[in-house]
Amino acid sequence: MFSSFLIEILRSSIESIKANKLRSLLTTLGIVIGVTTVIGVISIVSGLKKNVATSFSQLGANVLYVSKYPWVMGPLSREEWKKIHKRDIVGLKEAEALKEYGTSFEYVSPEIGRHMNMERAEKEAAEVDIKGVSEDYGRIINQDVSLGRFLSKDDIQYKRHICVLGQDVVNSLFPEENPIGNKVKIQGRQFNVIGMLEERGKMMGQSMDNVAMIPYTTMTAFTGRRKTINIAVYAEEGEEAEEEIRWILRGVRNLKPGEEDDFAINSSEALISQFNQLTKTIFLISIAIAAISLVVGGIGIMNIMLVSVSERTREIGVRKAIGAKSSEILGQFLMESVVICLVGGFLGIILGASLTKLISIMSNGNIPFHIPIWSIFLGFGFCFSIGVFFGFYPARKASKLNPVEALRYE
Amino acid sequence: MNELIKIKDVTKVYPLGETEVHALRGVDVAIKKGEFISIIGPSGSGKSTLMHIIGCLDTATSGSYFLRGKDVNKMDENQLADIRKEFIGFVFQDFYLLPDVPAWYNVSLPMIYNRVTPRERKEKAVKILENVGLGDRVNHLPNQLSGGERQRVAIARALANEPEIIIADEPTGNLDSVRGEEILKILSDLYEKGKTIIIVSHEKYVAEQGKRKIYLKDGRVEGKG
Repeated sequence: MFSSFLIEILRSSIESIKANKLRSLLTTLGIVIGVTTVIGVISIVSGLKKNVATSFSQLGANVLYVSKYPWVMGPLSREEWKKIHKRDIVGLKEAEALKEYGTSFEYVSPEIGRHMNMERAEKEAAEVDIKGVSEDYGRIINQDVSLGRFLSKDDIQYKRHICVLGQDVVNSLFPEENPIGNKVKIQGRQFNVIGMLEERGKMMGQSMDNVAMIPYTTMTAFTGRRKTINIAVYAEEGEEAEEEIRWILRGVRNLKPGEEDDFAINSSEALISQFNQLTKTIFLISIAIAAISLVVGGIGIMNIMLVSVSERTREIGVRKAIGAKSSEILGQFLMESVVICLVGGFLGIILGASLTKLISIMSNGNIPFHIPIWSIFLGFGFCFSIGVFFGFYPARKASKLNPVEALRYE
Repeated sequence: MNELIKIKDVTKVYPLGETEVHALRGVDVAIKKGEFISIIGPSGSGKSTLMHIIGCLDTATSGSYFLRGKDVNKMDENQLADIRKEFIGFVFQDFYLLPDVPAWYNVSLPMIYNRVTPRERKEKAVKILENVGLGDRVNHLPNQLSGGERQRVAIARALANEPEIIIADEPTGNLDSVRGEEILKILSDLYEKGKTIIIVSHEKYVAEQGKRKIYLKDGRVEGKG
C-alpha cells in the first residue's frame, strides 16, 4: 500500500500548511510572483500574437506594398532619416509603370488614402478612410462586396464619381436603407453608391470598416497627382515579383547603377517578423524576471523548511521511534515543500489569469484573453522542480536526524 | 532460543567535546518473552542508554545484542526501523504526542509506516483507545486531555502495531500518583495479556511493579532481583 502512504504524507503536508497559514503564504510569495509573471507574460504575448497575426494577415498574404517609407526601420541616424525623408514621392507614375510593364505579379493598385467626412442629407460619417484604388484592389486585399459591385475598369478610366462603402459608413449614413443607388457627398462632391464591402472587424483596436473606396482617378481631384501613395501589388511569387518591381521602379525613377533604391517594398511578413522580434525580447526579459523571483522564492522555501525541520525535531524523533525510515521522513518533508510550491503555483496561475483578464478588459479586447494550456503546465512544472530542488536539503537534514538526539531535543 | 532479548557485554561510549562519556561499561541482560522487567537506577546510571539500545533506537559501541535470535549489531538503519515498527512500542515520560492532531490520529501514526489503509487505521485506533478507557476522547487534541489521558493515548500508540515489547521510559514521571497508578495498572494488564514490558525508572514504587528488576549504576548492572 505505498500509494496510501503517499496520500498520507500529502494529507499531513496540507495539514501542516494549514496549521501555519500566514507563514506558508508569505513563504510562497516569491513563487506566486514568479508564476504570475510567467502566466501573465505568456498569455498577453500569445494573445497579442494571435491578434497581430490575424490583423497582419488582413493586410493580405502575398501582398507587397511599394511606398516612399519602409514600414520596418532599424535605429536610424538623423542623416539617414533625412535621406529617406528627401526621397522623391512614390506616386501614380510608378503605379502605372508597374501596371504596364509587370509580368511576374497578378494585380496592381494604387492606394491613395485620406481621411474625410462623408455626408448624406442630415447624416454624417466622420473621418472615413477614403481610398482611391483601382478595380484590382478588392482582389489584392481579398475583400469582396456583400452588396452591389466593386469598382470596374471603366469606372477608373472615366473617372466616375462612384463609391463602395464599408460597413461602418453604411451604418452611419443608411441605418435603415439599402445604400445602393443612393448619393453621398464627399467635400461637396456627389458620389453614387454602387456597392457595400464585406465586414472586416478590427485591427489593433481600429475598425477596418470605416472605409470607402473610390476610383483613384477620381481621388486625385481631392489630392492632386503629386501625392505620395502606396502601391499594392499581389504576387504569388513574392521574391521574383520584388525583384521585378525593383527594376521597374529604378527605371522609372532614373536611378543609376550603384545608386541606392529610393523607395521601399514592404510586406506583412516583414511586419510580423519585426513584431516577433519585439515579443521575443519582452518574453526573454520577463522570463528572466520570473526566474529570479522563482529562485528567490525557492530560497524562501528552503529557509522556512529548515525552520520547520528544527521546530519539528521532536516529531521527527517520535516518527523514527515508531518505525519511520529515513526515506519516509525525507518523503514527508519533500512532499511538504512541493505542496507549498504547488499551492504558490496555483495562486500564481489564478493571479496571472486574473491579471490577463483585467488587461484584456482594459484594452477593449485588443489583447484577447487567451491562456495557453502549456503555460499552466509550465507554471506547475516550475513549482514542482523548485519544491524538489530547494526542499531536498532540509528534508535530507530531517531524515538524517539521530532518533535519540531528536527525542531529547528541547 | 526462548530468550527474546539477549545482551552481552554491551558498552556505549559517547564523545563529549574532547572527552568521552562511558554510558555503559559492559552490561549483560537477558529477557524472556512475556516478562515484566524494571530497569532501575539513578540519573546518569546509563538506564536510558540501555533502553535506547534495547529499543533499537541506538546501537552499542561494542558487545552483542540478539533480538529474537537476530544480531541487531549487523542491521542497517532501515532494518532497525523495521524492528522498531514491528516489535517495539515506546512510551515516553513526556508523552511526545503530535499536538495538532486528534488522539486517534496520534494512535494511528505507527500504522502509517506499516502501510495500513486509512479506514483500517482509524477503526483500529479507536478500538485501542477504547481499550485504554479513552473511548470518549477519540477526537480530542492532546491539549484538551489531562496528563494521565495523554499518557494513555501514548500507550495506545505504542500498541498500534501490536508489538511484542513495550518499553516505557519513566512513564509516570510527569503524573501525580493516582494517574501514575492508573498507567502502571494498564501496563501490568498488558503484561497479563502476554506482552513483554520493560519499565525504566528511578522511582521505587514504579520499579516495584516489575516481576524482575535490573539495577544499574555507573553503566554497570549492580544487582538483579
